Amino acid sequence: MNDTIIATDFPLTDEQRTKLRHLLNALIPASQDGHMTSAGELDLIAYLKANAVDFLPVLLTILDDLDEEFLADTPEQHHQGALALSHDNPALFQELIYQVYALYYQNPVVLEGIGAAAGPPFPRGNTVESGDLSLLDPVLAIGKRYRPVS
Amino acid sequence: MPEVNLNDPVDVLIIGAGASGAAIAWSLADTRMRIVCLEQGDWIKPSEYPTNGADWEIQQHGPFNIDPNKRGRDTDYPINNSESPISVVNFNGVGGGTILYAAHFPRLHPSDFKVKSLDGVADDWPISYDTLDPYFTQNDRMMGVSGLAGDPMYPPKQPPLPPIPMGRVGERLASGYNKLGWHWWPSDSAIISRPYQGRDKCLNLGPCMSGCSQGGKSSTDITYWPEAIRAGVELRTRCRVREITLGKNGLADGVIYYDEDGQECHQKAEVVVMACNGVGTPRILLNSKSSQFPDGLANNSGMLGKNLMFHPVASSQGVFEENLGSHKGPQGCCILSKEFYETDLSRGFVRGYNMQITRGTGPFTTALHGYATGRIPWGADHHKAFQKHFDHVASIGILCEDLPELHNTVTLDPERVDSDGIPAAKINYTLSENSRKMLKHGIERAEEVLYAAGASEVASTDLVQMAGWHLLGTARMGTDPDTSVVNPWGRSHDVKNLFIVDGSIFVTGGGLNPTSTIQALALYIADTMKKNLANLFD
Ligand SMILES: Cc1cc2nc3c(=O)[nH]c(=O)nc-3n(C[C@H](O)[C@H](O)[C@H](O)COP(=O)(O)OP(=O)(O)OC[C@H]3O[C@@H](n4cnc5c(N)ncnc54)[C@H](O)[C@@H]3O)c2cc1C
Repeated sequence: MNDTIIATDFPLTDEQRTKLRHLLNALIPASQDGHMTSAGELDLIAYLKANAVDFLPVLLTILDDLDEEFLADTPEQHHQGALALSHDNPALFQELIYQVYALYYQNPVVLEGIGAAAGPPFPRGNTVESGDLSLLDPVLAIGKRYRPVS
Repeated sequence: MPEVNLNDPVDVLIIGAGASGAAIAWSLADTRMRIVCLEQGDWIKPSEYPTNGADWEIQQHGPFNIDPNKRGRDTDYPINNSESPISVVNFNGVGGGTILYAAHFPRLHPSDFKVKSLDGVADDWPISYDTLDPYFTQNDRMMGVSGLAGDPMYPPKQPPLPPIPMGRVGERLASGYNKLGWHWWPSDSAIISRPYQGRDKCLNLGPCMSGCSQGGKSSTDITYWPEAIRAGVELRTRCRVREITLGKNGLADGVIYYDEDGQECHQKAEVVVMACNGVGTPRILLNSKSSQFPDGLANNSGMLGKNLMFHPVASSQGVFEENLGSHKGPQGCCILSKEFYETDLSRGFVRGYNMQITRGTGPFTTALHGYATGRIPWGADHHKAFQKHFDHVASIGILCEDLPELHNTVTLDPERVDSDGIPAAKINYTLSENSRKMLKHGIERAEEVLYAAGASEVASTDLVQMAGWHLLGTARMGTDPDTSVVNPWGRSHDVKNLFIVDGSIFVTGGGLNPTSTIQALALYIADTMKKNLANLFD
């Protein structure tokens, strides 16, 4: 996580920062094989500043509403905390998911991990196999099938 | 190009620069008449499309959102969908809906023009497939359509370009259809599989429904419009028509519109052509009230705005062990099946549906959709579920024929207005029992074929809400002025110099994507106008 940006450009307290990391890790933890990073490793604040600045104060409220225990809790308890948030305020949680997924699934390291190319699709493009048209043989064998009109 | 003073009357005034407006403008251009098209939206630069950026998936939710109420462009008009389970989606700009369409490009079948005779429902069209056949071919050439000749479900036809790649998604599903002995065929697609007419071929970017940066998708801003403009047609953007005005002789004499600065302008014309689609056209005609037409212009039949048809859509998604590379390639164009297209009353409903095989989505959309449907949870199981889905899915859209019903309407919203103060469109639509049964049947068959193709899991959506892509029937064509708005060549029964060429003139909708037929109709109407120029208003 890029602490400098958070500390200097957006006034998160240490407590808020810790809660944020726990919350993000609860939403997208690292994969068990370590192949995929966790969302907590990525810089949500910098992302929001660049792309969804209106959500920043909302995020602060979410963090402040998480109780003190969330700081020291276990990952399972963080999961329960996130679950409670999703039940108590589904609309807010949905917006949080949107932003976290947007951050995560645009990250080049994540994209590499899932086997997708990073960067704009254009002009890179993609290769798609043309496919085996001999699969049409049984369809052709049935012959003309359109409905007569007279 | 002839000089046109804004205050001069023009010969032909076309309203709307979308699929049909572009086609008729191009076709009429060879008459050397003074032709002007007024379009409320802008030209879109290819560099503006989302796939130019790394954040392309996020951009799809912004200015290229398919939902005009969310897109936030002042060139859009609001649509009140609160009384409809299906919401209207569109694009307002040069190219109209073709800017965002998936470009799946089947033609209506010969039987679609004869549903009353064949199945005893709705009405026959006053024209036939054979009437439109030469215009389908002309349109395929003008747009640039890729496909494979020989589909046994159609009379012979020859797409100008070879099919776009069906990829592993198409192959896998094709194997399922073959196991069941059902029809399938590579889709006709308005996407060029080879360089064509100065355009470079499709690059398989994926999300055609947010615009094509490459220009491989055949939207009318890059097909018909450049040709029409070269031939002398003037296209004025940011001009939003409020109403059509009526002269003392009972003919339309022009329009009142707002220009980019919100200035009210008048444009006089000898002939007015509406091409604003099945929602935009009734909206403007209903807003054109006069003592002669208190219920809206050209509405003596009372049919204007009625019989709205969408194609209700259900969707089934199969998850496959094999990596299908599903996020690559034109999302909405792959293969299709017409196995259940024609009526078989033993199924419990009349008419039928098209099965449109669609590819997968990008990573962000996959994750977000997975969250919304509960198929990809957040938390500890997220990665496993994501990996199972991403690039491993294939979907089937079930696109049902929607029969015309008087109570499905477009009216003027009593409260909401667009940025120029013109009333918004209000949709009242109820899903019929026939459509419900068809959707259910379609889902069951889609699930069957997905499992036959080897899917390990299948999940279905009963009715897709944001699927009001096809806007049809609200100013229908017919020979009887008491039950239809336009005659068999698109001319208003009531106002003899007013023509309608967009999807609103469909009598019935068939069970497939309509744009190929909309454009063929526009070309046919243009040709009929040209043949009758001497006595156009008789
Ligand atoms: C996301 C999406 C996917 C689709 N996929 C497919 C597909 O795969 N295959 C298919 O066949 N079809 C598809 N469609 C539908 C297709 O786009 C339409 O059928 C087609 O564009 C309709 O053509 P039209 O000429 O009737 O109207 P449009 O193309 O909608 O054009 C109407 C034009 O009129 C303009 N207009 C409206 N009111 C006014 C006014 N008051 N003043 C000035 N201008 C006005 C609008 O701005 C617009 O540009 C899709 C549509 C969308 C939105």
